[in-house]
Amino acid sequence: MSITMQRLHLTHPLHFVIGLTLWCIWFVAVYGGHAIACSVAPPAPEQGVFTLVNAMLLVVSIAAIALLAVLTVGCCRMAKRHEGRLRFNATVSAGLYLFSTLGVVFAAMPIIGIPPCL
Amino acid sequence: MTTINREATPEGDNIAGPGQLHSDLHEIWGNPRGLKALTIVNHTTLGLRFMVTGMAFFLLGGLLAMLVRTQLALPDQDFMSPDIYSQVTTMHGTVMMFLFAIPMLEGLAIYMIPKMIGARDLVCPRLTSLGYWCYLFGGIILSFSLVLEMAPNSGWFMYTPLSGSEYSPGLGSDFWLLGITFVEISALSAGVELVVSILRTRTQGMALHKMPLFAWYILAMALMIVVGFPPLILGSILLELERAVGMPFFEVTGGGDPILWQHLFWLFGHPEVYIIFLPAAGIVSTLIPVFAGRPIVGYGWVVFAITVTGFISFGLWVHHMFTVGIPQLAQAFFSAASMLVAVPTAIQVFVWLATLWLGKPKMKLPMLWIMGFLIIFVCGGLTGVMLALVPFNWQVHDTHFVVAHMHYVLVGGMFFPLIAGLYYWLPLFSGRMPSETLGKWGFWLTFLGFNGTFLIMHWTGLLGMPRRVYSYETGMGWDIFNLLSSMSSFIMSAGIAMVLLDFALHFRFGKPAKHNPWNADTLEWANSMPPSAYNFVSLPKIETRHPLWDDPDLPRTMAEGQHSLAVATHGRREMWGTDPLSGKVREIVHLPGNSWWPLFAAIALAVVCLSLLTRLYPLAGIAVVVAGLFLLRWSWENGAHPKAAPDAEVAPGDPPLHSRTMDGPGLWAMSITLLANGSFFLSYLFGWFYLWTVSPEWRMPDTSPLSLVGLIIAASALTAGLGILEKLVRGLRQGKDAGLAVGMYCISALGFVQVVITLWVLLTADLAVTETSHDAIIMVGLAYALLHGGLGAVLTLLQGLRVGYGYVGAHAPFEPAVVALWWRYNLVTFWILVGALAVLPRVIGS
Repeated sequence: MSITMQRLHLTHPLHFVIGLTLWCIWFVAVYGGHAIACSVAPPAPEQGVFTLVNAMLLVVSIAAIALLAVLTVGCCRMAKRHEGRLRFNATVSAGLYLFSTLGVVFAAMPIIGIPPCL
Repeated sequence: MTTINREATPEGDNIAGPGQLHSDLHEIWGNPRGLKALTIVNHTTLGLRFMVTGMAFFLLGGLLAMLVRTQLALPDQDFMSPDIYSQVTTMHGTVMMFLFAIPMLEGLAIYMIPKMIGARDLVCPRLTSLGYWCYLFGGIILSFSLVLEMAPNSGWFMYTPLSGSEYSPGLGSDFWLLGITFVEISALSAGVELVVSILRTRTQGMALHKMPLFAWYILAMALMIVVGFPPLILGSILLELERAVGMPFFEVTGGGDPILWQHLFWLFGHPEVYIIFLPAAGIVSTLIPVFAGRPIVGYGWVVFAITVTGFISFGLWVHHMFTVGIPQLAQAFFSAASMLVAVPTAIQVFVWLATLWLGKPKMKLPMLWIMGFLIIFVCGGLTGVMLALVPFNWQVHDTHFVVAHMHYVLVGGMFFPLIAGLYYWLPLFSGRMPSETLGKWGFWLTFLGFNGTFLIMHWTGLLGMPRRVYSYETGMGWDIFNLLSSMSSFIMSAGIAMVLLDFALHFRFGKPAKHNPWNADTLEWANSMPPSAYNFVSLPKIETRHPLWDDPDLPRTMAEGQHSLAVATHGRREMWGTDPLSGKVREIVHLPGNSWWPLFAAIALAVVCLSLLTRLYPLAGIAVVVAGLFLLRWSWENGAHPKAAPDAEVAPGDPPLHSRTMDGPGLWAMSITLLANGSFFLSYLFGWFYLWTVSPEWRMPDTSPLSLVGLIIAASALTAGLGILEKLVRGLRQGKDAGLAVGMYCISALGFVQVVITLWVLLTADLAVTETSHDAIIMVGLAYALLHGGLGAVLTLLQGLRVGYGYVGAHAPFEPAVVALWWRYNLVTFWILVGALAVLPRVIGS
């Protein structure tokens, strides 16, 4: 248990990969979710972007952004409290979480402008 | 294991002088000559073999490129027939990507990584050897198809249905699918052991944040290979099954979908570009600080950029498929992700420029190639961003513009840094310096020839010339551009020939190099030039990113044996096993010596490949069994086996041998292997759900053909087996081994029960595997489960035997923990298969 907790600590280099892994999961979720939604229940084209599919994709994206933003702030705070290797780990992790957050924002922007399934 | 009959000397009290130490270490690590040279497992020798073989394939790929440019030089040429032209272009791409770029960079990493991190070898030396032989044999088999005029001709990405049996009835596609899969064993082997070596065998004190940047790049590359290659292996297996047996994975009428191939190929193919680029960027990040005479600006930024690139590059694969009819919203996701990947690349470019700006750059020969790289790669990156834009992509899709972009990225991003790196490390390889004059001529001819060829090709593409056409009519406006491209390509060839001539001549005529001729900061330059088989007489404690700048005397003190592990009397090949984060010493890793088994296993696998190619399936089956036996025999010589480390004695104060602990590098190697395996399995699940969701003619029966009860009983046997195994491993952690052998036999029996029941479920399912992709993909899933279950049962059976021989027990508890990992993986994937193949169809229906 203590080893698991150590690994979850924000100074552990495991956080180098957690943020981007979350980004990947989000990416696969919106791409795959969109494909499945279009296969199972495609909305009428005249609905434009105001569809349940867009809404669901947007909700998932906002949740991902919120989670990643919280982790970014957490790593930033942790970096200030440490020196040496632990500070390096937390700083790089904070940068990677920030990139992942902005990555979701950027790649999710089409959801508010492009209708699904067309 | 070599025995040296002298008293072991405790650390810090070396009676043996440096000369004697060198002699003792050479006796243990030295390479045999003659026929026994085939048994060598040493990373220095095998790294060089990889690179030399890679250069040979590069010459072949280059020759094919010259044929292509000759054909296209003028309109209406009939220098080659359309079919031969297709073979030549397909093989040019295939050879350059699979037989040159990846193995060459892996060879460089295999050679360089242990030296840079202060180790004596890679952590799985026999795996390095297996990887090399698979690469060599696979490459020869694939290349031989050209001689037979049977080479693959469907393009290097082998799109279905063109590559299927209907449109490519010959053996060309089979050569590609089987040959490439064979070669990929090599890539995966290197990927696994590079990851584990970098994480677990850095010298004492070398914490993660003090590691050379090159090691970070190679770590990312190796992990990307581990995750990125399995989708293509799965795709190749499925397509070969379709061609050989008729299972319709990619045929619409049978419920398959040709677009599935594109997904599987590009899930591999796009990360592949970064797998090639990252090590090359690692060379750049290593060389620029040395020639600028200052540490790199923003070490942390570079680590950040490497990590981002490693992940985001997996989210771009669909940008190769913008024209296949994917919805606009999905295209927009991939367009955005494709633009995102430019950010980490730009960060690296600015870091390099800042380092040059703040340092005092010396424009030596390697730097010339780095400057060439910066110019060409930035241009290639910019056209990459252009191609990420969907409307532009549609316009230039399948034109020479894409060919030009690809060559700017790959030649600029890989070849130029590679040559820079080879020039930089040439004195280390040979102890001699290259010729500046020949090298500069080579650079300028290559640089000008390259831009003359491919800059112009952008315009040819924008004028609408499609790629892969074997000829064109005059009057299209393409004539002059093609002629200029072809002429320039010959200038580039002359430049490359000059570089290769320089490399060859320097071994005999080059000036002897002084030690550390470029005043570099990394540990590889603490080696003798050329290096010894064991790299370092003693292993230092390193707590800085620039060991040779901070302690220029380090090479001497290391050579004099003033640091750790300067003992050879035990006859073992030893180095440190360290904590992956802090670099604290955990254990002594003892490595196996030279071995015939990797060569024998590779020969057996080559027979499998050839017999599948010639449709001699009984022979293929026999060869698979023989290869398995060779591999198991290889695994037998481990741990406390007389040929490994029967005597666990270490010097006072030293940590134990890894085989006497519960957390040796083998555990990590198994974990990374299972990561690759997991990638393969996820690709399979993707294929199943993709066809189920998207395939227009998908046919799912009303009732599942699989016996759910049978599968649950099989899964329960597996669960029970793992439960017992976990209990035994817990006991070993506490030093208890009572009932270990009997327990292992029981677990093995449960494993066989799972296999037999799964086989019964498969046989009673009455699958029509050549009629529907539904049945075919179930067949593949159950075959996967059978293979894993069978291997798990055999491994535990062998563990039981090894307990009897005294190779495993409380004194050597390592191996059951490794086998337990395999069983855990097997259990999880089997239950997922039960859920995906037997439960979900019953719940959701077709």
